[in-house]
Amino acid sequence: MTEDNEPMTDGGTDEDARTDGGPPATVPPDDETPTWSERKERSQGLAQLTYQYFERSRREDEDLRAESTYVERDVLGFPAWPHETIRNLAITSFFIGMLIFIAALMPPHFGHPANPGSTPAIILPDWYLYWSFGLLKLNPLNPQLAVLDGNILLGNEFLGIIAHGIVFGAIGLVPFLNKGSARRPVEEPFWAAVGVTGVVLSLTLAALAIQNFFPFELDLLVTLTFLLPVLCGIITYAVLKTMREGYMYDLNRRYYMLRPPK
Amino acid sequence: MSLKKNDEMDHNAWLKRQDLTAIETAFLTTLIWVDKRLRIVDYLELLETMYYRANLQMPKSHTEQYDLDNKFWYWYPLYSLGSLSIIAYLVAAVSGAMLGFYYSPSTAGAAAQGDPTAAYDSVVLILQDVQFGFMLRSIHSWAAQFMVAAVFLHMLRVYFTGAYKEPREVNWILGVVLIGLTLFFGFSGYVLPWKQLSFWAAQIGVEMALATPIVGEWAAQLLFGGFTLGQATLVRMYILHVFVLPFVVTSLIALHVGIVWVQGIAEPH
Repeated sequence: MTEDNEPMTDGGTDEDARTDGGPPATVPPDDETPTWSERKERSQGLAQLTYQYFERSRREDEDLRAESTYVERDVLGFPAWPHETIRNLAITSFFIGMLIFIAALMPPHFGHPANPGSTPAIILPDWYLYWSFGLLKLNPLNPQLAVLDGNILLGNEFLGIIAHGIVFGAIGLVPFLNKGSARRPVEEPFWAAVGVTGVVLSLTLAALAIQNFFPFELDLLVTLTFLLPVLCGIITYAVLKTMREGYMYDLNRRYYMLRPPK
Repeated sequence: MSLKKNDEMDHNAWLKRQDLTAIETAFLTTLIWVDKRLRIVDYLELLETMYYRANLQMPKSHTEQYDLDNKFWYWYPLYSLGSLSIIAYLVAAVSGAMLGFYYSPSTAGAAAQGDPTAAYDSVVLILQDVQFGFMLRSIHSWAAQFMVAAVFLHMLRVYFTGAYKEPREVNWILGVVLIGLTLFFGFSGYVLPWKQLSFWAAQIGVEMALATPIVGEWAAQLLFGGFTLGQATLVRMYILHVFVLPFVVTSLIALHVGIVWVQGIAEPH
């Protein structure tokens, strides 16, 4: 024991607590022994921040729940057994049954072996890549994108690859552009119209991919590929906009019943 | 600093003070005896959490609130498309594993251009000689078609019911990635029999890769094993189809479903 009261490693100067430097023996519980809930509270660094944040978010959750007008219920939806289980078993069995039935009924065609020397007249991937194949056939558009006189800016194939990037990028951006709590297409005619445009575009692009099967000129087909989706989108928008009147009326019926329009 | 026993922790004295019945005493004695050895206090919280999970108090669901129960059933198939694509994926995995017993990814054996290769012959073997092989290939092919169809329709359902909205952006993007991988799954499988259409579909793939500036040649070498199609292409497509993609897609599906589990199903419209 030194007389100059040199602080110990933890900063304390209590002589009773001074040890000879070895690891601390088992500390008996006293008033300062943390309770079990206190023990869980981390006291330093990132762990403390994490703990504090969790506490805050839990409290926020509780507040939100207290403010909510939702009715508290014991059970949500159907019980897992037997309702959900039997329904899912039925759907699964039906699905696999249909799969095997169709597989037995329509086995896939098996063609000739690969021959690098002879290009087949019609090259097509499986149906689900038709839209992608259609994007590769946009070369009639390429000259119109040119800025320099007559020189195309991009190779025809690279244009197709860029189109793929645009398609995937646009789909990925959707949740960042369209926010809010609206769920039904009638509530947001514009976004429903965008969706219909996309679906019809994928179909017309598939038609562009199998262009050999269409008896009219390629220019017309390319025009239709981009015109039809926009047309369908506009029609969807108009229809949903009209439907929304009725839908809003339905929602507000209670209001109208209370206060009929003069 | 003393090491003497603290009275507060004398459970037996506390027990005596309580004036309990014989059953309660027996229970508490057992509990204290076990707890002194196993520290079950530490696990009590877990039990508590499990108790509250099991007796979950949930807000009334949208379906209940708007009394959609009786109208909801005919929408249900649209809401099961995600699980249907997983089921189709599982069927394709099982039938694909069995096809893999007989398939050999090799372009050897063609004496002249256009002759059947070993890969082509092994598929012919599956079709003609293997017991149930014709059906097996048909099931594998159709399972792939069903999966792609279910995945596309699943995306449409999610889009048109606004299920991708605010807290679920990450899962939407994950879904877009999964669609891309599913299509690539289909493409790589299409190449494997090394028939005429497989070869020329792969040829288009190589040309697409080569048309891309900067990364194109690197991608062509990575995915197709060179700039012209051959043995290397077939083996790469085979390994992608039966090894890389199954691992990646399965774990991404698990993540996709896990996020749905954590965030909850977006309520029906």
